[in-house]
Parts: sequence; structure tokens; C-alpha cells
Amino acid sequence: MNPPRSPVAPTDEQLSACLDGELQGAERETVEAWLREHPDDAARVRQWAADAEALRLRLAPWLDEPVPASLRSAVQRRPVVATRWALAASAAGLLLLGAALGGAGVWQWQQQRGAVEARAGAGAMTAGWVQRAAAAHAVYVPEPRHAVEVGAQEEHLARWLTRRIDVPVKLFDLREQGFELVGGRLLPDGGGKSAQLMYQDTQGLRVTVYLRKPEAGTPAAFRYERQGELGLFYWVESGAGYALVGALPREQLLALAEAIYRQGGGKAPR
Amino acid sequence: MRAPETFCRQLLDTLPRLRRYARTLVFDAAAADDLAQMALERALAHWHQFDQRRDMLVWVLAIAHNAFLDGRRRDARLTIADPDELQRTQDRAGGDPGPDVGLRLDLLAALRRLSPDQREALLLVCVEQLSYAEVAEVMHIPVGTVMSRVCRARAAMRRFLDGSAATAPPALRRVI
Repeated sequence: MNPPRSPVAPTDEQLSACLDGELQGAERETVEAWLREHPDDAARVRQWAADAEALRLRLAPWLDEPVPASLRSAVQRRPVVATRWALAASAAGLLLLGAALGGAGVWQWQQQRGAVEARAGAGAMTAGWVQRAAAAHAVYVPEPRHAVEVGAQEEHLARWLTRRIDVPVKLFDLREQGFELVGGRLLPDGGGKSAQLMYQDTQGLRVTVYLRKPEAGTPAAFRYERQGELGLFYWVESGAGYALVGALPREQLLALAEAIYRQGGGKAPR
Repeated sequence: MRAPETFCRQLLDTLPRLRRYARTLVFDAAAADDLAQMALERALAHWHQFDQRRDMLVWVLAIAHNAFLDGRRRDARLTIADPDELQRTQDRAGGDPGPDVGLRLDLLAALRRLSPDQREALLLVCVEQLSYAEVAEVMHIPVGTVMSRVCRARAAMRRFLDGSAATAPPALRRVI
């Protein structure tokens, strides 16, 4: 095979597989090292990543198209009367959290609809900031080395983010649920700013918490939504908007959302 | 025996993605829903074969993939397929560049110009975000084949989107 220390150009297949996180160990390190030294190849890989993102955004709205009743009834013989919101809410066990659904949901949907539809990747039912939370998750979670701007060990992390986004940022402790804080970063959020906290379990699976100052009148209801393999819980409480994003089963994500909620993700005094 | 409630709920949860996947196979909303319906019926008939430790979506997509191939084989038996005509149909469907020949293709048009095998692998990886192993399971191909299809699809998409292939004849002519 290749003699050691003589850099042999990786094949396009290796570059492509590396982008998809399909290379392990030494092979991955070799390809990553090659990309650091070869900006042209790195640019090509970035372009592929951008194409993939564009495809995801282009096809995301297809997920939100109403499912024909004939397909639903093929699976479920009894009539489906529940709305999509109610289904999502009851499935997530949200009564626990005193969700106020219904009117507020429709109101928000109407409010957000224009802005949301202007965004290519947005689901018609989802507020723009929630889409931004999902997008920020998708961008930073795969980053092996630059996932966060400020690491968890920096004691100024919470203060810095609190000052920047004008919302009290707490570093939630999710260790009981198996997740360690990795760190956080500051992000643009529409006209304002938002913060992203990232947590990781022992397998390297990452979830993010997105925090922002909500517009006046944003409904507070606790909501759940799935976008592809990503699950999102989001809520607004005591002057802060929260979105928890992760590729986890609903129950597991809900446990995390509840932990955040209990620790003041919503009870922060204003 | 009817499929249990949990299974039905899991199956319902896959519906939006199943429909989207079907639509990228057949590129026609009505035909896609027919395909999705067929996959659902097969899944329900074989619910006892589903191992709850596995990912329901991967399982259902694999069923849809098989149903799609079955349909394609059936159609091939019923009609004498002229590969040139098929390719022309595919090219026309793929967004006739029209007076703007040489310009970039739009994303969906570029996608449609990919060979079906490349397109499916690319979308399962990039859009459904399955691992290569899961794509291999859905498409019944080795992982190495997934890797090369995804790579070739990426390169072809780039050519279409850059416009350098807009006027060139399709590199691959598939006989279905």
C-alpha cells in the first residue's frame, strides 16, 4: 500500500465519505490532514457540503405537505380527528407542562407564515426562529473541532452569553440524562442575537439548546416537532425562547427538555 | 393478527419522509403516494418481521425501494422500453434548458438528470441523512457501492449546477 509519510492524494470517494462522516481512525486523519494542506480540495468538499445543505432545504418543505387521508387510514383504521398540533402535543406528553395549544398555535402560524414561507427550508407550521435553531444545530453539530466558540470549562461562558443576548443564560446540567456541556456560541438571529449551548453524550451524540429574546406576544406553548431525524422541543417562558434540538427519540428528548425546564429554562426571574 | 398500536404509530411517524422518498424515486406526487401506500400495506402485512431495535424509517424505506423496483420490473415486462426514448423522456423531464442552454440548471432539474441509482443514494445520505450502512440496507447494495454512487452523484450534480454539462449528452445511458 502507500508508503508512510509520502502524501498520496485521497480519492474523491474518500473525500466524499469523509464529508459524510464515514471514515474512521487513521484514514480519516489522513484525509483531514490532506484537506488542511490542499485548499482546492477543501473548497470542493465545502461545495459538496453546500450542495447537500441546499438539497435538504429544497426538499424540507415536502415534509410539511398534508398527508392524504387515504395514506393515514391505510395505517390507522379509525378516523383521525386530532389535528397535527394536538397529535404532536399529546404524543409528547405535554399536558405535564401545561401546554396551551389551539388558538395560540393558529395565531402564531398566521403571524409567522409570511416570514417562514419566504425561507426556503422552512416548514409552513414552524416559526422562523425555530428553523434557525434547527439550522444552527445542523451546521455546528457535525463540526469535530470547532463545534463551540467558547468551551464549557471557561467560567465566563454564561455571563458572556447573557450579556450578549440580553436573556439570562444558565448552563443547564444534563449529566443525569447522560449529556455533558461542550460549550456555547453566539449566533445571529434575525435582527438580533441568540446563543447556542451544545451538549454531548458518551457516544458523541450532540444536542443543542438555542436561546433568544422572543418578540413581544410570542405564544408560550410548549411544542414538539420532527424535521427528518431531528426532534425539536421549543417553548417561550419568562422572557426567553428555548429550542432543544437533537436527533433523539421523542421520549429521550422530552426528558432533556423537562430537565432544562426544571432547572430554570423558563423560570428565570425577569 | 393486526399490527399492534405502537407499530402503527411508528409507521405513521415515518409517513412524511416515506412520501418524500417515494417522490424522489418517481417524481410524480400521485405515483409517489401510490408507492407509499404499497409500502405501508407491505409493512403492515409483515409487521411481525420488524425488529423493534431497528430504525423503522430504514425498514420502511427498504420496503418502498423493493416496491419501486417491482413496479419498474413489471412496467418493463409490459412495455417494450426503448432506452433512447427513456433517456429523452428523462432529459425532457429533467428541465429542458430551453433558450438558456449552457446556463446552470436549478437544483431539482439537476437532481432529475442524475441516474436513478445515484440520485437515490445521494438523497438518502444528504437529505434523509442515513449512514452508508443504512443506505446499503435500503438499496440492497454493498457499502462500497453506496460510497461510489454518492461520490459520482456529487460530481455530476456539480457539473449540472455549474452549467458545464447542460449541453453535453448524458454521460451514462442506462437501460432500465
